[in-house]
Amino acid sequence: MNRRILGVLFVLTLVALAFAVADTTKPANLTASLSPGRVELKSAGALGFGPDGILFVGDSIGGAVVELDTNDRTEARPSDLHVEDIDAKIAAMAGVAPDQIAINDVKVNPLSKNVYLSATRGRGPDAQPMIVRVSAGGEVANVSLDNIKHASVNLTDTPAPNPGARQDPRMMTITDMAYVSGNLMVAGLSNEEWSSALRSIPVPFKSAEKGATLQIWHSSHGRYETQSPVRTFVPYTIEGQAYVLAAYTCTPLVKIPVNMLKPGEKVTGVTIADLGAGNQPLDMVPYKKDGHNYILIANSSRGLVKLRADGVASAAAIDSPTKVDGPAGVPYDKLDLKNVQQLAAFDAGHAVVLIGQAGPGPSFNPGRPQGPLKLQTIALP
Amino acid sequence: MLFHSPVRLLAAATLCLAATPQSIELEGGVFRVSGWAAPPTPPARGWAQIFAVYAGSGSIPPMLGSYAVDKGFLVFRPAFPLAAGMRYRAVFHPPVGPAIERIFDGPLKQTTPATRVESVYPSGALLPSNLLRLYIYFSAPMTQGEAFRCMHLVDEKGKDLQGVFLPGEELWDPKWKRLTMTFDPGRLKRGLTANIAMGPPIVEGRHYTLVIDRMWPDAHGLPLMESYRRSFRGGPAQRTKPDPAEWRVDTPVGGTSTALSVTFPEPMNYVLLKRMIEIVRDAHVVAGSVAIDYDERRWLFTPRDRWKPGDYRLVIDTALEDVAGNSIAHAFDIDVFEEVTEHLKATKTSLPFVVK
Repeated sequence: MNRRILGVLFVLTLVALAFAVADTTKPANLTASLSPGRVELKSAGALGFGPDGILFVGDSIGGAVVELDTNDRTEARPSDLHVEDIDAKIAAMAGVAPDQIAINDVKVNPLSKNVYLSATRGRGPDAQPMIVRVSAGGEVANVSLDNIKHASVNLTDTPAPNPGARQDPRMMTITDMAYVSGNLMVAGLSNEEWSSALRSIPVPFKSAEKGATLQIWHSSHGRYETQSPVRTFVPYTIEGQAYVLAAYTCTPLVKIPVNMLKPGEKVTGVTIADLGAGNQPLDMVPYKKDGHNYILIANSSRGLVKLRADGVASAAAIDSPTKVDGPAGVPYDKLDLKNVQQLAAFDAGHAVVLIGQAGPGPSFNPGRPQGPLKLQTIALP
Repeated sequence: MLFHSPVRLLAAATLCLAATPQSIELEGGVFRVSGWAAPPTPPARGWAQIFAVYAGSGSIPPMLGSYAVDKGFLVFRPAFPLAAGMRYRAVFHPPVGPAIERIFDGPLKQTTPATRVESVYPSGALLPSNLLRLYIYFSAPMTQGEAFRCMHLVDEKGKDLQGVFLPGEELWDPKWKRLTMTFDPGRLKRGLTANIAMGPPIVEGRHYTLVIDRMWPDAHGLPLMESYRRSFRGGPAQRTKPDPAEWRVDTPVGGTSTALSVTFPEPMNYVLLKRMIEIVRDAHVVAGSVAIDYDERRWLFTPRDRWKPGDYRLVIDTALEDVAGNSIAHAFDIDVFEEVTEHLKATKTSLPFVVK
C-alpha cells in the first residue's frame, strides 16, 4: 500500500472517528437549554437516561418530570460492580434507619456506567427524595440538587391547587420512562381514573410543552378490546424495525411499532407473550448474545426470566391462551436469581440488579421486600 | 488594650480553650463543636475530615450536610432533619489530642396508636363481580408498601384469597391517607389467560369480607387503633357504559338553596363523582358543594347562593366511571361482536335542566 493510499485511509478514519464521537456525544444541544439552579423535587421515582448524561427523574407527587444534567459524560468501561448493604449506606447518609429507605428505581448512565438510584428517605408524607450515584468503584454519593442544570415539565393538566384548599388527592404515579427518538415516553397509573395514557414529551423540555398522549389499547382473543395502562416498556430495534415492547398492568407483553405511536391516535399493541396471572413485569433489558436476541425481564412474582426474542418481529398475536400458571406466546426461560427488585441495562454483556430479601409474609403474600439490599452487575445469560 | 497584639489574641484563645473544655453540642438540629476556635478556612480535605456525624455505628458513611464557621464555632447542619427514635454519633478530631465523641438522641418517637380506617368505597353491600377498584381512607398518613401483607379479601369460609389485587401496585394520594387498590385486571378482562382460567376475583352470590389488619403501620411506624372489617356480597357484572340519559335529575325550586339531586341506576366511582360533574349556567360554573350518598347512587349539589330560575346544564366528564371501570366514553372491555366500537371523541357531555 503506497503512502498516498495510507494517507487517504488515515484521513477517512479520522472523519469516521469524528462522526462516531459526534454520534455518541450528540453534543451540547440537549444540555444547552437547561438552566442552573435548585431543583425542588417532591418525590423521585422512575428514572431514565437520555444522551449526553441527561437523567430524567419522575416526580409523581410533584406531578412533573425533571431533566437533569448530571455532567457525567466521561466514557468508561468498568467490568463489574458489587455493593453490599446499599440501603444501609444510603440510610447512613440520610440519617435514618435502613428500613426507612426505599429504592424506587435504578438506571445506568450509558456513557460513564455510573449507576443512578432514586430513593425515598422516610415512609410517611414527610418523606424526602434522593438521587444517588454509585460509581464503578462502588463509591456511593448523593447527587446534590442545590445547583444543577435542569428543566422540568409539569404533567398535571389542572391549575395549581389553591394552597388554602384541601390538597388534590389525584396523582399520576409514573411507572416507567424511556428516551425514544428524541422524545421522552412516560407511562403512568392514575390513582383515580383507570385509563391512563402514555405520554410523549419532546426533549429538550420546553416549559409549556406537556407532550402528546397516546391511547394504548389491548385486544384479546380477537374479540374483546380495552384501554389499558402500560406498567413498563423498553425501546427495542429488531430486524431494522423500531418497536416499543410494553407490559400492560393486565400482564400481556405487547409490541408496538414506533411509527404507530402517533399523538391522539388509538394504538393497539400486539400481544406476543402472557407472563401469567398474579404477576407484574417490573423491568426489561433487551440484549443480543451469540447472534440471538433476548429480553431479560424482572417480575413481581415470577422472578427473573429470559425471553427468546428472535421471533418478536414476526411473532403472531396470541389469541387463544390456554395456560394460567405458565407462559404463553414467545418462549422464555426462568433464571435462578431471586428477589430481584430492580433491573437495568449496564453494558452489552451485563445488567445491574438490586437484590433484596423476600418480604416477611407467606409466599403468596410476602409484603414489602426487605433489606439488606445489594447492588451488583450480572452477566447477561 | 490587653488583646490588641496577635500574640495576646493567641493567648486569649488559649485561655478560652483552657477555660472551656472541647465538646460537641446539639441545638436546634445543628451540631456544634465548642471549646475549639475554628479557623476560618477548612483543612485541605474539608471539614468532614475532622468533624462528622454518623447515624449508627460500624463502617458507614457520614451524614450528608453542610459545614460553616459561625462566630468561631464549627457547625454541621444535616441535610435532612433528625429522625425520631434514631441515635446519632458526632465525632470531632481536634488538631491536638484524642478524638471527642458524643451520642445524641433524635426526637422522641410517638408511641400511642391514633390512626384508623375511616371509610372504604364503594360502600354498598352488593358489589359487581367485575369491581375494579377500592378506595381506602385512613385518618392519618400511612406507611407505603404494606397493603399486600395487611389487607385481605376473605371468603365465606374464612379463606384468605390469593391473587385478588394487582400485585406490587399501591396507588396513594400525595398525603398518603387514601390508598387505591386495583383488582387484578388480568382476571377482570374477558379473554385474557387469567380471566378464562380463574374467573373474576369476586363471584356473584358469594359473601366476602375485606379485612385490614391492625398491624398496618402508619407514617410514625405505629399500628392502627383497631382492625377493620367490611362484608359484602358479589353481584352481577356491570358491563355497560353509564348513560346519562338514564339518570334521574330532581330539580330544585328557584329562590331556594335546596340540593339538586342526580340518581344513577348503578353505583358510580366515588372519587370521580366528586369532581367530574359540574352545573353550568350561562357558561359559568355554579358554585356550591357536592355530597354523595345511597352507596354512590346519588349525587347532591347544594348551591352557595339560592337557585335563580332559568336554564342550566349538568356538564359531565366522559371519563366518569362506574365501580367496574366502565366510563361514559367506553366500557371497560368491549365485546367487538356485540357492540360497535365507537369511541366518544368529546370529553364532556351534558344534560339540560330548568329551575322554575
